[in-house]
Amino acid sequence: MTKNSVFLPEGVSRSRFGQALRGLNTSVATGGSILIIVAIIALFAPFLATHDPSTISPANRLASPSAQNWFGTDAIGRDIYSRVIYGARISLLIGLGATALTTLIGLTIGLLAGSSRILDSILMRIVDGMMAIPPVLLAIALMALTKGSVYTVVFAISVAEVPRMARLVRGVVLSLGKQLYVEAAISAGASSRRVILVHILPNSIGPVVVQATYVFASAMIIEAILSFLGAGVPPSIPSWGNIMADGRQLWLVKPNMIFFPAFFLSLTVLAMNVMGDGLRTTLDPRSRTR
Amino acid sequence: MFHYILRRVLATVPVVIVVALVIFSLLYFAPGDPAFIIAGDRAGPAEIERVRQQLGLDQPYLVRFSGWFLDVMQGDLGRSVFSGTPVTELIAQRIGPTVSLVVVTIMMSVTVGIPLGVLAAWKSETWVDRSIMAFAVMGFSTPVFVVGYVLAYLFARELQWLPVQGYRPLSEGLWPWLSHLILPAITVATVYIAIIARITRSTMIEILSQDYIRTARSKGLTSRTILFVHALKNASIPIVTVVGVGIAMLVGGAVVTESVFAIPGLGRLTLDAILQRDYPIIQGVVLMFSLVYVLINLLVDLSYSLLDPRIRY
Repeated sequence: MTKNSVFLPEGVSRSRFGQALRGLNTSVATGGSILIIVAIIALFAPFLATHDPSTISPANRLASPSAQNWFGTDAIGRDIYSRVIYGARISLLIGLGATALTTLIGLTIGLLAGSSRILDSILMRIVDGMMAIPPVLLAIALMALTKGSVYTVVFAISVAEVPRMARLVRGVVLSLGKQLYVEAAISAGASSRRVILVHILPNSIGPVVVQATYVFASAMIIEAILSFLGAGVPPSIPSWGNIMADGRQLWLVKPNMIFFPAFFLSLTVLAMNVMGDGLRTTLDPRSRTR
Repeated sequence: MFHYILRRVLATVPVVIVVALVIFSLLYFAPGDPAFIIAGDRAGPAEIERVRQQLGLDQPYLVRFSGWFLDVMQGDLGRSVFSGTPVTELIAQRIGPTVSLVVVTIMMSVTVGIPLGVLAAWKSETWVDRSIMAFAVMGFSTPVFVVGYVLAYLFARELQWLPVQGYRPLSEGLWPWLSHLILPAITVATVYIAIIARITRSTMIEILSQDYIRTARSKGLTSRTILFVHALKNASIPIVTVVGVGIAMLVGGAVVTESVFAIPGLGRLTLDAILQRDYPIIQGVVLMFSLVYVLINLLVDLSYSLLDPRIRY
């Protein structure tokens, strides 16, 4: 054993670490570059779109893909290509918002539960109960309470996703609490706040980042499902889910109305999941083969 | 053993109470006044107040919660705000198609997902493994209704092998029933197959590196015996666990898929309820699914000792 390998996580040999790095290069690079492209599309939507996404033109409705309308037009003549381009903004925004909110709340609950026995038993009973409610149904039920808007969708998705994040953080905190360096810090007289913020929090970032990529992917899918069922953002806002919902009645004759937004959504979610898998092999030492 | 079962059953009590609290709160905080709707358009303020008192809507939160919870324990989920039909009756009318869809989906997922995972682990790091895992990641990443549309477009519209939409009860014959369920079940199963295949693969890879597998191999046993008898048996616990946990995902998928294939099940009931803001129905369906989830995962936990004789309580 060389001197350096002391710093590697238990059970990870140098060559395996190198392997993981190579894994990072392919998966994370592939996923990451697709995401960067989608982000660029969202950012520069006004320059990339060929039409205004909400201008209707009844004379030109249900057009098939052509040089004029690359992805065709919908039932009231809006240009599907431009709507998909602008849709990237809404869908990414919702994914990002839900991920940030979920991570913030999940991290707080997980750290609190991991640091106190009493809080742990109370919070984890609540989390267990929340986890028993199917996430899509919980989000649907929450959306039925409020008027659909980007904020309420972000909130509903976050409520559905928080339990898994909180459980993960709690598990990491508990396992880190058994590490020697944490014991050393405690016996050196560090306050519990210091132990959590300085020693535990930074070391739980890896698994949390991995989980956050999965939350992002799942949030975009739930957004699409909510909009598709008519319980998402208002129909006037072109999210990818809403564009697909517009095609619901006509998909057998005009599959392009669903195909193009579905392709962009699936590609983005796929990129997120591939990146998550890549990050997981490097950042989360607990899962070597998974 | 008996003590373990008892402890495990008691452990679900707080979970059920939290589920009930969350779902009750959904109704409690729902906008709109049920008394106003039930009293009718022509009712004056006094009449509405009378209905409110009659329904106990003027009581504090915890009093209303315990009243509602006692009703639920007795199988009373309240009435639809609009039609006045008991929610349990509505659920009973619609549960058949959903149960059919879920059962066919689970059977399909297990019989496809586990062999795929075993195959990927056996051929680990080859193109077989990589393509199965690529399929799995794609399965996760495609929204369930998109899978449904693609399948319906290809197999029902273009090839005309199977019906596009609708549902036939089992009483009309096995094939009419099954033929209407094949595409919806594949749709819901895609995600489920993906998670089952992934967990099977990773567990099997870990097990295949164990000493007793090497012993079995050096004894000259065939790969098939090693994979399915020695390894898969020991991989059963994580697999059964993920099958149980995946029920939550499956239920969400079924609700969406019913609307793609026009299946008159609980998903459609829920969607119509959302459009009409008929909260007691939404509440009843979500509660029922959550309780089923809790029950299935309780059974999964209890099955551990059957699957692994080393686990004793």
